[in-house]
Amino acid sequence: MSAVPVTPRAKTGSVTPAATPSTARVAGSHILQASPHYTTTRRHSLYGTEDRVVIDPGSLIWKVGFSGEGKARDVFYAEPHNVQSLWSCSRATEPTERAEQDRLLEINLERCMRAVFHHSLLTDPKSRKVILVEHPLLPIYIKDMIARILFNNLQVPSISFASSHLLSLLSVGRITGLVLDSGHLESTVLPIFAARPLFPQLRTTPLAGSRLTSHLRALLLLFGTYLPPPTSLSAAVNVPAANRSMRVPQEILTDALVEEIKTRCCFVSGVLETTNDMRVSSPETGDELVELDVPPSDSAMSESSFSRESVGLESTASSHIASSDYSIISHPQPIGVSESSRGQSHLQVLANMYMRHSTATDLQIRVVPPASQQTGTGRGTLIIPGWIRERAAEVLFEGGDVDESSVAEVILDTLLKVPVDLRKTMASSILVVGGTPMLPGFIPRLHRELIRAIEPPASSRQPPRPGRPAPPQYDRYAPLRPLLSYFAILNNPAPQPPASARAAGNAGKAPAFSPATMAWVGGSLAGSLKTGGVEVAREKWDEADLTQNDDDDDMVMSVPNSEHAPRSIIPDWTRVPISAGAPPAVLPKGLTPAPSPRATVGA
Amino acid sequence: MGPSIQYYCPCLSGFPVQTPPPPHVASSSASFHPLHSLFFCEECDAVRCNRCVSIEVSGYYCPNCLFEVPSASVRAEKNRCARNCFSCPICRTTLSVVASDPPDEGDGRSSSVPLSTVGEPPFFLYCNHCRWDSAEVGITFEKPTGLAAQLQKFEDSAAESLEFERLKEHFEPFLRTSSLSSSSHLPSVASHHMHTSSITAAASAALARDIPGVGKYNPHTRSRAGRDRTVNRDEMPEYKSRVEVGLFSQLGSGGDEGDVEFLTHIETAGEVAKLEQRWGNSWTTSLKTSDLRPLRIPLHSKVSKRCPTCRHILIKPEQKAQSVRYKIKLVAANYLPAMTVALPSPQSGPDASRRVPAKVPAAGDEKNFTLMAGKSYPFHLALTNPLYDPIQVRLSVQRMHVTASTDSTAPEKARRTPFAVSLPTSSFPVAAFAEAWEYDDDEDMFGVEDDELGLEPIGRGSKDRDGRGKVKTVGVLERRANVTVVGGEVVIGKEARGHVKFNMLVSYTYRSDDPLPSEDGAGTPSRVNAKAPEVKTFTFYTVIDLGPITPREESKVEADV
Repeated sequence: MSAVPVTPRAKTGSVTPAATPSTARVAGSHILQASPHYTTTRRHSLYGTEDRVVIDPGSLIWKVGFSGEGKARDVFYAEPHNVQSLWSCSRATEPTERAEQDRLLEINLERCMRAVFHHSLLTDPKSRKVILVEHPLLPIYIKDMIARILFNNLQVPSISFASSHLLSLLSVGRITGLVLDSGHLESTVLPIFAARPLFPQLRTTPLAGSRLTSHLRALLLLFGTYLPPPTSLSAAVNVPAANRSMRVPQEILTDALVEEIKTRCCFVSGVLETTNDMRVSSPETGDELVELDVPPSDSAMSESSFSRESVGLESTASSHIASSDYSIISHPQPIGVSESSRGQSHLQVLANMYMRHSTATDLQIRVVPPASQQTGTGRGTLIIPGWIRERAAEVLFEGGDVDESSVAEVILDTLLKVPVDLRKTMASSILVVGGTPMLPGFIPRLHRELIRAIEPPASSRQPPRPGRPAPPQYDRYAPLRPLLSYFAILNNPAPQPPASARAAGNAGKAPAFSPATMAWVGGSLAGSLKTGGVEVAREKWDEADLTQNDDDDDMVMSVPNSEHAPRSIIPDWTRVPISAGAPPAVLPKGLTPAPSPRATVGA
Repeated sequence: MGPSIQYYCPCLSGFPVQTPPPPHVASSSASFHPLHSLFFCEECDAVRCNRCVSIEVSGYYCPNCLFEVPSASVRAEKNRCARNCFSCPICRTTLSVVASDPPDEGDGRSSSVPLSTVGEPPFFLYCNHCRWDSAEVGITFEKPTGLAAQLQKFEDSAAESLEFERLKEHFEPFLRTSSLSSSSHLPSVASHHMHTSSITAAASAALARDIPGVGKYNPHTRSRAGRDRTVNRDEMPEYKSRVEVGLFSQLGSGGDEGDVEFLTHIETAGEVAKLEQRWGNSWTTSLKTSDLRPLRIPLHSKVSKRCPTCRHILIKPEQKAQSVRYKIKLVAANYLPAMTVALPSPQSGPDASRRVPAKVPAAGDEKNFTLMAGKSYPFHLALTNPLYDPIQVRLSVQRMHVTASTDSTAPEKARRTPFAVSLPTSSFPVAAFAEAWEYDDDEDMFGVEDDELGLEPIGRGSKDRDGRGKVKTVGVLERRANVTVVGGEVVIGKEARGHVKFNMLVSYTYRSDDPLPSEDGAGTPSRVNAKAPEVKTFTFYTVIDLGPITPREESKVEADV
């Protein structure tokens, strides 16, 4: 990889000493080429060059502001109109399709970046250094794209790349800990020791915000109720609402609406205490996943509960009717929809179970009726069953899949990878950040899930996805069991009575910053402390850009413009050469990544 | 959506500037802009768009009170209006300051007459739209002026800024010592275990009292001998939060458990604040809508825009917030011919030879005008010349589907050209722009100019000067003042679908009488000279969207989508 020779230089050139003279040079060169007006506009650099712009660009939500401030100046959806993520975990494989995808992404990124400076912050990008809060799994091509926009289009003087996990840790006053960042696309765990991210031990799972959204949508489609607007105003009075209720049409569940329901109505409550039923939930790994593996061994159990449910359903449903005057279509025949009915019946089992144990109120939301049915007066009504609000997030805690560990499992998996002598430290300083943990009750639940997953697999109650048919008792987390009393989540708003003094010293001791903004706050902190990640000055970029363009000219048009070869000067932990035989943990430069066996995440 | 035309800015296409992306690619929409949003750089002789110009702030003002905020206070006020401007946290309407009811208990009249001009003291903010008022969240004011300043003290003592300062104090000594010893920063911290200053040593010693095992070289004071050696190896003193999140729930509004409890029992979604209403808070805050606080109105900025390559100013507003004028304004509309595209209603020319009238109910009702697959339609292009010189325009359609190898549209489009466009192939004139008072004898003007220029008027031979060409659909249809209408025709393939959308190259040549730019800068741009020193040519791309094609089978259903 071409990065190899350059990155060490960036490292030894170590963050700040190089930075100050270089900015001076930037300013100087500006004056040289600028028109006389430039001097008059200079007075507008009212922040002083030491205040940097901190950008936390999420795939869904961006947070931006100035360093040294306690909260972000602006937070916005990257796609304001239809709440969608800018990029996803997959990328088109077909070259032209991919080129188009990249172009669109670049256009959107450029729009967002320009909005950051010109709309949110109202500042001149040419005099503002930037701290970019980067997720460790942010694909390099996106990182390159961001750098290209910032340097070429906005001409910022420099960009510092700082790991979001590390910054989050700074925001709670620490430099060692195990950070779970549960964002939109992924939940990623990264252990950090003494400000050094241990990238090789990073673990990730796609159970995060967007999965929750799609699960929520599936649940609403099946179990929600929709009341179209009455056809006339008199009908609103005469026709009972029950007669109007129908299944939720797919079109009204726009991304924006589901997002709103998720962020406004959903919460996480405790572990379902009816232990046997948890079994039933474990096969549920995803909404589209038609993996109905109700096992034959304990099928009696689940079947009985199922049949009990189908009988008991009437009672629950009727009680619902009694409480409200709508007939909740909570038991629709899984008809019509092209999805496999097996998956639906499976969801049905889940629904029945959750429904019994939920006390949350049903909610009504006014929704715009779909275009095809715009016959009525005003808006329709979507009824969200209380149990959906309460239990939609269960999908994040139901692991068992090898590739899609639950949020608790991914933490434990990381702990298994962490060197033994660090495990206790890490287990007792878990930090949970990101947008998904903003769900009320998420963090306490996560703590309970951690404890639960680590408990010895009893015959009836097991960690998710146990070896079910024959019991050679796959006890995955047995090595972690001694740590049980040490588990502590730093920002647990409702810490359990601690089991050890160590946990007592940590659990809930973090400042009450909201999990979603911790990375940004850390970036702001790093900026005001004049530290931060590896800094790339514009001169370096321009140099590299020039040579790059020369290369481009040489190989005539063989490279489409959006598909630049990876910029060697953009630092990334995946580009650090593997140090042969060196001790992995103690590198002198911590913010720069630890050696990693991974070559690239560019794909 | 009627037919539309947009102009191309080459900024996104990287170094090989020449050709725009094929119009059916979704990303191409970012390269095309309406003419009124484009600028023109005289130095570079190029179109610039809002995606590529570099923007400089030339002044800040409050959009509500139009107060020009001096730059110095912009930072302190965090880009917000520091006067009386607030917006409603619920509906974002501007709030008005309202006085309390006068205490007219006894004598019917308010006792203090001078007060009545401003009202009675507890002032609060009131939303005229949704009737929210700030007294609900306990915000009242003593005076009706300088409300932001009165609120400022709360913001300064906001929990997140205090905590933030504390965090800074926590890290600073640590960074200082490490930078002293290694001239490096945070990264290197941990490699200097015991080189920390006496301050941090003292701090960690003090903390070791509370937490067993802190400090590597401390004997483990209590219990757990040897097992907790891993505690705090980085020699960072333990950070003691000002407000611990775990204790927060006891202090505040119930905290996380309280939130769960609250959410379990809400009756309407409106009780919970929207994400957008609370995501700016970096501090754990209440979920409830009823706890939202008034928002200070964010400032706007007046900006001047510069050409990204030569850094010349393209547009520069007057400083005053009230003014809507510009000191410098190089907009593309002053340089490029303005073009509008229209699909003439079939009634206007019913017996055109190849024209198949579509089933249009009302003339001019372009919304219902559908393009049916397998038919051909005429369309009109009206070009308006903004220059003081007559121009010669040549149009040509970019052949995108055949040649473009980068065409990455859906396969059904890439197969074949779904439609063919014919336009006048030779150049045609558009007369010069003239101020209104010069139009006394415009008929003469036309003649004179055309003769002077020696232009070959394309359509005039066929007597279509006053438009409504009976036979002709392609060619110049009409000329009046500085507008020329040309006709084109599109033949839509039988199995075509999607939009009739094509790129069109427009090049215009004009002769400049005086080499200097005209008085107000709207005249002759200094362009590259083509052949003679007097004749200059400029070329730009546009995209024309005539509208969606209705497939033959399902005719009406998709028409309005």
